[in-house]
Amino acid sequence: MAGDVLAALRAAAGEATGPADDGARPAGPDGPDAAVVRPAGDEDVVAGVRPRYVAAPGSTAEAAALVRVAAARGLAVVVRGAGTRQDWANPPRRLDLLLDTRRLAGVVEHAAGDLIVVVRAGTPVAELQAALATAGQHLALDTPLPPGAASTVGGVVATNTSGPRRMRYGTVRDLLIGITVVRPDGVVARAGGKVVKNVAGYDLGKLFTGAYGTLGLVAECAFRLHPLPAARAFLTRRAGDAAEAGRLAAAVLAAQVVPSALEVDAAPDGRTEVAVLLEGTPRGVKERAAATRALLGGATVADEPPPWWSSYPWRPGDVGLTLTAALSGVPRLLAAAAEARRRYGVALAVRGSAGAGVLHAGLPSATPPDVVARTVAELRVVAGSAGGHAVVLTAPPQVRERVDLWGPVDGLHLMRRVKAQFDPDARFAPGRFVGGI
Amino acid sequence: MTTTDVSTLAATLRAVLGDHQVISDRQELRTYECDGLAQYRVVPALVALPRTAAECAATVRACVDAGVPFVARGSGTGLSGGALPHADGVLIVTSQMRAIREIAPADERAVVEPGVINLHVSRAAAPYGYHYAPDPSSQQVCSIGGNVAENSGGAHCLKYGFTTNHVTGLEVVTPDGDLVRLGGRAPDAPGYDLLGAFVGSEGTLGITTEVTVRLTRSPESVRTLLAGFTGTDQAGAATSAIIAAGVVPAAIEMMDALAIEAAEAAVRCGYPAGAGAVLIVELDGPAAEVDAQFADVERLCRDNGATEIRVAADDAERALIWKGRKSAFAAVGRISPDYIVQDGVIPRTALPEVLRRIAEISARHGVRVANVFHAGDGNLHPLVLFDDAVPGQAERAEEVSAAILDICVAQGGSITGEHGVGMDKVSFMPRMYTDDDLDTMQLLRCAFDPRGLANPGKVFPTPRLCGEVPGRRRGVHPVQEAGLAEVF
Amino acid sequence: MSGIPDQRGRPVPRDVLGPVAPAPGEPAFDDDHPPRRELVDDCVHCGFCLPTCPTYVLWGEEMDSPRGRIHLMEQGLDGEPLSPSMVAHVDRCLGCMACVTACPSGVRYDRLIEDTRQQVERRHRRPRRERALRAAVFALFPYPRRLRLLRGPLLAYQATGLRALVRRTGLLPRLAPTLAALDALAPPIGRAARVPRRVPARGTRRARVGMLTGCVQHAFFPQVNAATARVLAAEGCEVLILPERQGCCGALSVHNGRRAEARRFARALLDVFDSAGIDFFVVNAAGCGSALKEYGELLADDPAYADRAAAFAASVRDLSELLVELGPVAPRHPLPVTVAYHDACHLAHAQGVRAQPRELLAAVPGLAVREIADPEICCGSAGVWNVLNPEPAGQLGERKAAHVLATGADLLVTANPGCLLQIASAARRLGRRLPVAHTVEVLDASIHGRGVDELLR
Repeated sequence: MAGDVLAALRAAAGEATGPADDGARPAGPDGPDAAVVRPAGDEDVVAGVRPRYVAAPGSTAEAAALVRVAAARGLAVVVRGAGTRQDWANPPRRLDLLLDTRRLAGVVEHAAGDLIVVVRAGTPVAELQAALATAGQHLALDTPLPPGAASTVGGVVATNTSGPRRMRYGTVRDLLIGITVVRPDGVVARAGGKVVKNVAGYDLGKLFTGAYGTLGLVAECAFRLHPLPAARAFLTRRAGDAAEAGRLAAAVLAAQVVPSALEVDAAPDGRTEVAVLLEGTPRGVKERAAATRALLGGATVADEPPPWWSSYPWRPGDVGLTLTAALSGVPRLLAAAAEARRRYGVALAVRGSAGAGVLHAGLPSATPPDVVARTVAELRVVAGSAGGHAVVLTAPPQVRERVDLWGPVDGLHLMRRVKAQFDPDARFAPGRFVGGI
Repeated sequence: MTTTDVSTLAATLRAVLGDHQVISDRQELRTYECDGLAQYRVVPALVALPRTAAECAATVRACVDAGVPFVARGSGTGLSGGALPHADGVLIVTSQMRAIREIAPADERAVVEPGVINLHVSRAAAPYGYHYAPDPSSQQVCSIGGNVAENSGGAHCLKYGFTTNHVTGLEVVTPDGDLVRLGGRAPDAPGYDLLGAFVGSEGTLGITTEVTVRLTRSPESVRTLLAGFTGTDQAGAATSAIIAAGVVPAAIEMMDALAIEAAEAAVRCGYPAGAGAVLIVELDGPAAEVDAQFADVERLCRDNGATEIRVAADDAERALIWKGRKSAFAAVGRISPDYIVQDGVIPRTALPEVLRRIAEISARHGVRVANVFHAGDGNLHPLVLFDDAVPGQAERAEEVSAAILDICVAQGGSITGEHGVGMDKVSFMPRMYTDDDLDTMQLLRCAFDPRGLANPGKVFPTPRLCGEVPGRRRGVHPVQEAGLAEVF
Repeated sequence: MSGIPDQRGRPVPRDVLGPVAPAPGEPAFDDDHPPRRELVDDCVHCGFCLPTCPTYVLWGEEMDSPRGRIHLMEQGLDGEPLSPSMVAHVDRCLGCMACVTACPSGVRYDRLIEDTRQQVERRHRRPRRERALRAAVFALFPYPRRLRLLRGPLLAYQATGLRALVRRTGLLPRLAPTLAALDALAPPIGRAARVPRRVPARGTRRARVGMLTGCVQHAFFPQVNAATARVLAAEGCEVLILPERQGCCGALSVHNGRRAEARRFARALLDVFDSAGIDFFVVNAAGCGSALKEYGELLADDPAYADRAAAFAASVRDLSELLVELGPVAPRHPLPVTVAYHDACHLAHAQGVRAQPRELLAAVPGLAVREIADPEICCGSAGVWNVLNPEPAGQLGERKAAHVLATGADLLVTANPGCLLQIASAARRLGRRLPVAHTVEVLDASIHGRGVDELLR
């Protein structure tokens, strides 16, 4: 019964810890393990679904022991870091154990000379960046969220979060060079390593990236790093409409200024802005800024980004989408958004990387669900015709009933087979992902 | 397979592909018995040359129906034996699927068939001011399909990444014989990143029949220098200094004295005479950035003991500097009757120590080792020289080669940076990964290829029985229950 | 690496599943100049030769690539028989030697293919039709006087056995593209320029040279020979031609494995020139030049000729080579024209002569040289390969013609009559007119102040 399971979980956590454990053991009224494993409370609800237990392992071994118990008892498991994106994707079909990774934190190894870092998945990204900055380096990954949000490395990997600078540096899949995971059966496995160049075996890091925790728990990640640029500049320019924004973007892409980011922001009131980030040496940035300014036909140059930079165009509870397209199709997406605004009278905001072909769109939570559905369907058609996709990341419950969040998924049957191999009992984040996975 | 089985399968394939696209002649089959790794040779039972994705899929289906393994091959230049045929299997060669379907500079993409030669993609994109960034040394002959299978790198991957960072879409024939699209022109397709898992899977998850690649804007400015040093220690120190200064060169390559000697003999590249090591450093990007950083690089080389620095004045000089490096492997054949090309990775900072240990091993076994490597990312290519005609030398060379890999693993590196595991390094996988690690990777293989027909015997030492399932199964599968899937 | 030793005690590569079953029948090669094992062993299987091989470019099959052909030779050395399949792949080799240029390991494929071809020629009995066709080709091409008989109205009136042979063996349709091109390109037979026996040097005599008149060149492009003599004279060379005494140099024969025949031609030519007191022997046909430079190897086994042949070979120069070696003295007049320069395989790959023709052309005032895409890929002429393999030759010709036309040049310039005919006829098939000229014709026009019109005719 419940107490039975709790005891088993606690025993697993206790067994896994030994004199060598380096995580601080917070003491509690039920003993030293009580804070590691406890019954769930109101604060532990995941997308409206309440788990029964919460466990916060402090090491990979502890996590593995807990997962083994879950496997033995058929518990459905969801992994949570800072919970900043728990409202993304589908709610879990069932949920017994919430694995909290915040104690699974800390930098394991920062080899500055080799430009790599190995870090535990529960580490807040901001903390990691602060540690790397002391050596003049950073993980070149933007993690859009409201200021103060404490996304963890694991969460970023599980949701494949990226921001403006993906254009130059790539995303998690390009920066992750090694991973340690705990499989749903509790087995700990590694893939990749600590060196950037490595083709030994399969790249499981890619498989786990963006998998929303459905294949197992990500315990540790190794990333390649970049030196912090010596100088940077943001150039911003208002555009009259989607077409002009597209032309400006194309001009910057075809030139030789090598932007780190090329963003477009189309607000619901129709105000459209294009912004370019240049990074490099002070002299180089200065000259390239001048060239970019000329390309844009004039722009504001600043040390800081525009206020909308690297943030999603929606508020918690709203509808949020990712829209992707081939680069030449970005103007079409923007135009489709403008058209949808006009036709349905919706306050649709679109914002994102014209340099990577990845945009986000937001609709207020008050938008009628059928209007949302029609808008999403239209955007999906346009994105599809431009070689991309429209995926609804988050939406209020009434919208979820009316909208297919994911759209068409290539290779779904293969994905189901992959899931069946890793998690045959479908216990990890069941139902969260595409195709009911 | 019995001779009758082979004839039956040959007849089936001929019906599907046409007479001339199936090879069964004994001598002709033997010409396919190895790829670029000539030490291992296996004659395939049949060779099939599909011309389209549909033909490729039909070929795989025929193999599945006959219960026969299949191995894919592009240009046959791989260095780990990944395209080594199966004696009872069909070798599926993609060299006739070599159309460049589209160059789309506005999308920064090209769509090509798998048999297209790597360099030809860059050539086709050049008039638009773009190129295809991954540049293995064999790029004038290796195929894109092969690059996808191996996740090939090249000298410029230090800055630009490898094949996996430049492939955004694939059409593949799965080991069931179905055609599936993964990804496309736009990034971040919904679902698992099967595209990312496929790249570098060495032909064990299927055969690619169309590749959508990222094209890179060709840089405004490219500047290349060749620096001579008294030894690899100094050259290594210069490399570290350059990286520490925050410079990200497009490439940093190093060659030691023996490798320089070979390159000179082969292509007369005119490297500094008597140098113990040379560094090739290339910077590219906007002219303003390159100029600023190039001066730093020159200074750092000098500060670290460069005895001679040569800056390429034009494309011809740049090409000559690179010619020596790119010909190094095959050129070594001029200073030694036989050699093993090794491929290992170490953390870059461990370079001086590792080179010292390689020198020790080399001396101890009496086997010369020429070193060529991507100094920027720690990817070593020791060329272990020997004379097969001298008894025992071949064995000693293999020992040295294996010992070098052990050093790489001990230093936290990898047993292969570019060439892949293939069949050559299957036995080394357990030195780098635990049984659990390898078992987990094979879960992926079981998902794609439960029958074990796609390039069996490669990459993993012990095949996983795909019927095994981790954990107990309880009742009806929830996905079934949700009415979203059926069990066949 | 250790495995079962072969006959010579060298360990053969490890076959993972055990040795290949022994071959049925007699081994491919006998002891008379088989392809050499040590040359075969130089191949490290890197594959750099594949993209430069015309047959691999066309068909994408390993057996028709240099790497694959070397493998077949190795199989033959290891005991495989000289099967029809092996012979077919050897015959399909164009002998262009682009692979030799591309190979980073320095494999002497040229030696290997020549030794293999003469083994095939001696030891393999081709099907009747093929034998007849080859007999007709070699009864015709090494004999300029007979070649002339193919031209225009003369053919209709000749009641010789040659005409019958040509008709019966199906050689005529094979020659049709060549003849069509000839009719368009070569001057009418009656107005052929005569070639004198000896031409004195103009100004200071800097060298005394012999000159090859050739077969196809002499029969169809005598104006090229005339231009060659004029240019050499203008640059201070006394030219000894002796056209009535010259025969074929044997290039076609040696490149097709007919070694005994080649040696006969070589000896005859040596008898004419090697004691004529010349400093250099000049050649204006690429295929001939490369064969002449290898006379030493060809006659190495003949004690009476070995040394003479080696010495003579050392004196052989392509025209462009010699002119650059001597240094040009004759003033050049402007020729405002854009030319595409095509590297004939036997000049570029076999002799390594690439820079000199370009240098000479670039030195003509007003003349611009454009490079052709994929320059290392053969045009498909390859001696008589286009006659023996018309379809693939046609494809290769069209590829090359398309690349030449894409340069937008006014004129195609090259140093080999076969290439000229091949590319011009391919251009015609593509519906385009392409003026062609030999390098020496351009130099001749420039030195003697003639305009471009003659060249662009």
